[in-house]
Amino acid sequence: MAYNLLKGKKGIIFGALDDKSIAWKTAEQCYQEGAELVLTNAPVALRMGEINKLAEACGNAPVIGADVTSMDDLKALLEKSMEHFGGKIDFILHSVGMGLNVRKGKEYTDLNYDWNHKTFDISSMSLHRILKTAWDLDALNEHASVIALTYIAAQRVFPDYSEMADAKALLESITRTFGYYYGVKKKVRINTISQSPTKTTAGSGVKGFDNFVSYAEKMSPLGNAPAEACADYISVMFSDLTKYVTMQNLFHDGGFSFTGVTAEVLESMGNN
Amino acid sequence: MSDIASRVKKIIVDKLGVDEAEVTNEASFTNDLGADSLDTVELIMEFEKEFNISIPDEQAETITTVGQAVSYLEEHAK
Repeated sequence: MAYNLLKGKKGIIFGALDDKSIAWKTAEQCYQEGAELVLTNAPVALRMGEINKLAEACGNAPVIGADVTSMDDLKALLEKSMEHFGGKIDFILHSVGMGLNVRKGKEYTDLNYDWNHKTFDISSMSLHRILKTAWDLDALNEHASVIALTYIAAQRVFPDYSEMADAKALLESITRTFGYYYGVKKKVRINTISQSPTKTTAGSGVKGFDNFVSYAEKMSPLGNAPAEACADYISVMFSDLTKYVTMQNLFHDGGFSFTGVTAEVLESMGNN
Repeated sequence: MSDIASRVKKIIVDKLGVDEAEVTNEASFTNDLGADSLDTVELIMEFEKEFNISIPDEQAETITTVGQAVSYLEEHAK
């Protein structure tokens, strides 16, 4: 269902790999809400995924490849986007993450620091790089809204999330600190959304993921939040209805984050 | 070893962080050299850049070992 929440707004969506991606569903939702879009991802992800299908479904949105660790790529992306829109940008979704050590099966207690450095650069500093590029080009409209996707492992320990927990903690901190500066400068709001575990291509890279999804489902009074509902929430955060929300980590997790235990989990422990 | 073969092997060593000795013609990117799906696509893109060609996806899917990469590139590299 659409409410024209984003009529006339223009935004960039980072990180739509395939139709399981939260970014993919968010792009579809924003388009239905009336937004004009530019889609972007790493060149290798553009090649692996099916982003042209999404572009077609979103009014032939331009697809512009960008390596989020390259300031030149980000500058070109923002410049081309403004040229396409004929104006500045109203919203950005950062749905970007890569855990090199996780991918290569290196344990948290035995990290390869070169990979770890890349993990932070891709997953966390990329948000700073995007915001700095926008800042220098004055690419964002007043009251623009920036959302980055995060996970509760940034705040509590979920061991298998490994180095990505640290990466997300850094991401959440950049959201607050840059949120301060951009808020003062141009009333831009910057928030993270901490989503339930979601079966995306990236999520499936986490060890024991399926069991964990079932656990989170039992630990959430409303059940796990589906990706589609996350897309709904993001479009509200991009809209004018949330102009004074900034520097927050917003849980979109069916209540998981504040639940200590549930009857369902207790029952599954048996009668010991 | 041909010039193309040594350039291919250098890319594989750099990209996958493996020992040169492991990069034999028979070695499979995923089974022997620890590549995941993202690595294999990145490798194909590195080959394209190095040899200034474009490898269609259907062809790329058939390149799963070092030897297959070398012979494809020997045939198609400009």
